[in-house]
Amino acid sequence: MKAILTASLCLCLCLAFAGCRTRPVAASPPCCRELKAGQSYTDSSLYQLDSLWSSDAGKQISLRVLRGRPQVVAMFFTRCEYACPLIVNDLKKIEAALPEKVRQQTDFLLVSFDSTNDHAEALRAYRLRQKLPMQRWTLVSGKADDVRELAALLGVNYRLDARGQFAHSNLITLLNVEGEITAQQQGLNQSPEEMARKIVLLAGQR
Amino acid sequence: MVSRHHPPMHAWTAGLLFLLVLLRPAYGEEGAAKESPPKASMVEVPAGTHRPLFVPPGETNSVQVPVFRLDRHPVTNGDYLEFVSQNPKWRRSQVKRIFADENYLRHWAGDLEPGEAAMSNQPVTWVSWFAAKAYAQWQGKRLPTVTEWEYAATHGFSTLDGSKDPEFQAAIRRWYSTPSPTSLPLVAQGRANILGIHDFHGLVWEWTADFNSSLVTGDARGNSGIERQLFCGAGSAGNRNPSDYPAFLRYGFRSSLKASYCIHNLGFRCAADL
Repeated sequence: MKAILTASLCLCLCLAFAGCRTRPVAASPPCCRELKAGQSYTDSSLYQLDSLWSSDAGKQISLRVLRGRPQVVAMFFTRCEYACPLIVNDLKKIEAALPEKVRQQTDFLLVSFDSTNDHAEALRAYRLRQKLPMQRWTLVSGKADDVRELAALLGVNYRLDARGQFAHSNLITLLNVEGEITAQQQGLNQSPEEMARKIVLLAGQR
Repeated sequence: MVSRHHPPMHAWTAGLLFLLVLLRPAYGEEGAAKESPPKASMVEVPAGTHRPLFVPPGETNSVQVPVFRLDRHPVTNGDYLEFVSQNPKWRRSQVKRIFADENYLRHWAGDLEPGEAAMSNQPVTWVSWFAAKAYAQWQGKRLPTVTEWEYAATHGFSTLDGSKDPEFQAAIRRWYSTPSPTSLPLVAQGRANILGIHDFHGLVWEWTADFNSSLVTGDARGNSGIERQLFCGAGSAGNRNPSDYPAFLRYGFRSSLKASYCIHNLGFRCAADL
């Protein structure tokens, strides 16, 4: 039993550090999907944004690579002492509340407030610490202006305080496959049921 | 087709927004309409110390503001017409809904015709934060931060510190307590402050780069803190100067905004680094 655990832990670590390898597109994690050229986006799609983001796999990605799967989105930063672990925990609760089949088709996106400190290594370490599977979870940081813009689109308010911590609103947003905001959950320690139900609904519409 | 979803606004926020939209600060000395719109020149705002209206617990009550440049007056319909002429995606019929709500430029006669309700040297309004930001980028500028805007706006007519300028104080009180005229006055008609900047008070509200930074503590609680901190009874204890009612109004107004909102008395001006 122990051996199996150790082996699987090793496998996890290897996978996390291996980052992205060439795999068929359908099976590749969000960080490494290829972007098809010449796509158009709906008027309400967040994927209209041109901004590029650094993923923990060390790649520059457009959020557009996330198109095609529902995304559960939250903003956070790795040095957060208060709310962020709770937000991530709320996301995990939503993930756990999904039926297996729907869970396999749903992605989770964490966007950092902290353009200064949350480079790829910091995000990678956070992924390991929080045990966030590569296959479903995308962790990104970006330029301060792009973070401000995405936050404005999501309706997240934040500011850097004197202690170097970001004070921020706690908001979890559900994007449909087109990148349109379809639901939001405010506050911490919410029950995951409502959000899970909405994700299942989305899955049913596909 | 997905309906736009907004988290519910608190009743007071909705009320406040309504109140502020009705209660546009009135303007100062009105002048005769000028023939041509004034050129949006910029003024250097010298570095200095700003004492924000609201100081979160554990923070110093003053911030150092480095030197920057700021437009002499808000962006006008004339300026904005040039922008949409050169940037088709920001024309009223072309703009993406996510970047500007359905009220975008609603007072214009057409995509490239401001028309009679939008004279060329009136401040442009009915524009979203995204639109304001895009305009600033097109000019090679940016939007001012809340701190920069508030700091520049504290300069009086004849003193750097407007709180020591009785004439300036009286003008502010008059502006904020006079009902709106039906049609917006022209830019740069009121008295300029000591730096040569017009229209901070009494013409339109203005977008800032980080308007969505107005919260005090979002940590470990369900909602952002500024509402409670700024609008609950005990909250105003944290204020530096509870008598600075206009600043208080501006903070409240900003915290009730969403980036895609377009409002009849909300415009903007640009800033730039030196």
